[in-house]
Amino acid sequence: MYSQTYHFAVIVYRVDVVVVHTPHERCIGPHPHPPTRSQAMSSNLYTYGVIEQDTIEIDERGINGAEEIRTVEYRSLSAVVSEIDEMEPERTDENATAHDEVLRAILESDGGRTVVPMRFGMVFKNPNTLKNVLRNGRVAFRRSLNDLDGMVELGVKLVTKDDTDVDRPAVVEDVATRLREAADTEAGNDLYSDRLVFNRSYLVDRDEQGAFDETVSEIRDAYGEQLHVQYTGPWAPYNFVDIEISSEGR
Amino acid sequence: MFIVDDLLINPFVSIMEAIHSMAISEMYDTTEIKNAIKENRLLYELGERSQAEYERLDDELQTQLEIAREAHEQTRGKVEVMR
Repeated sequence: MYSQTYHFAVIVYRVDVVVVHTPHERCIGPHPHPPTRSQAMSSNLYTYGVIEQDTIEIDERGINGAEEIRTVEYRSLSAVVSEIDEMEPERTDENATAHDEVLRAILESDGGRTVVPMRFGMVFKNPNTLKNVLRNGRVAFRRSLNDLDGMVELGVKLVTKDDTDVDRPAVVEDVATRLREAADTEAGNDLYSDRLVFNRSYLVDRDEQGAFDETVSEIRDAYGEQLHVQYTGPWAPYNFVDIEISSEGR
Repeated sequence: MFIVDDLLINPFVSIMEAIHSMAISEMYDTTEIKNAIKENRLLYELGERSQAEYERLDDELQTQLEIAREAHEQTRGKVEVMR
């Protein structure tokens, strides 16, 4: 008799990191002394994620085509950044892809690295404001790095083919049960389209990814006729860590 | 009922403002537009939509989203309509 009980919980850290800033740091409305172009270009830092303290060499273009991806260090933490003109980068396909690609390159660098990803659009005015955030949030960042050590995120979506109809609850239960056996933790995502039957993310140990791949192949064999099976990753663990940095802190 | 509730809670809110805000919320539902943007992307990734089709619809939806955000921005702080 099959009677294993699963205890699955999504690890989500919600940390509001608020940095007290002096009034002159924040510019509301036209700046009385507009910076020159060269100053503006080197002041803001777009931040992709946080890793164990290290320097990195990544051959990827960053947000807005930034050529150099580098790190800003605070004690045992390094934030991966590139320079940017504006404080609110446009969320174009190119920029969203660049954000993902840089994080994936970090994940794959140095034989497999752990990264705490930032959500899209985290820009800091200068290295000091970023260091303040690393200092104020260091407990959350450290805890996340420890918990996510060696883990990657993998995504599985099932989407109906044109006119097919399936027993959705039965498919969801079967697929979820199979994938849980091969994963450490799962997180459910929005079913933002009527065509989406299943949309979940899984936190998987790098060493166990082969077994997870195999499970997805079996699911494709079982349901591939009626459903598209979209398998993506490895991603930085976006769905398993959520460190919020309020705009006052940036 | 929520219009009546709004009026009971805040008698200074005119019924026209409440109706206007409700109309804005329904006409410019950003969640639906965002979902349509994500669905368009998904169907493109699965090969059901060509790149040209995907790009045309994405442009259209992004414009709709911008208009919806502006519409919400204009009514912000006037009347909050609970759905």
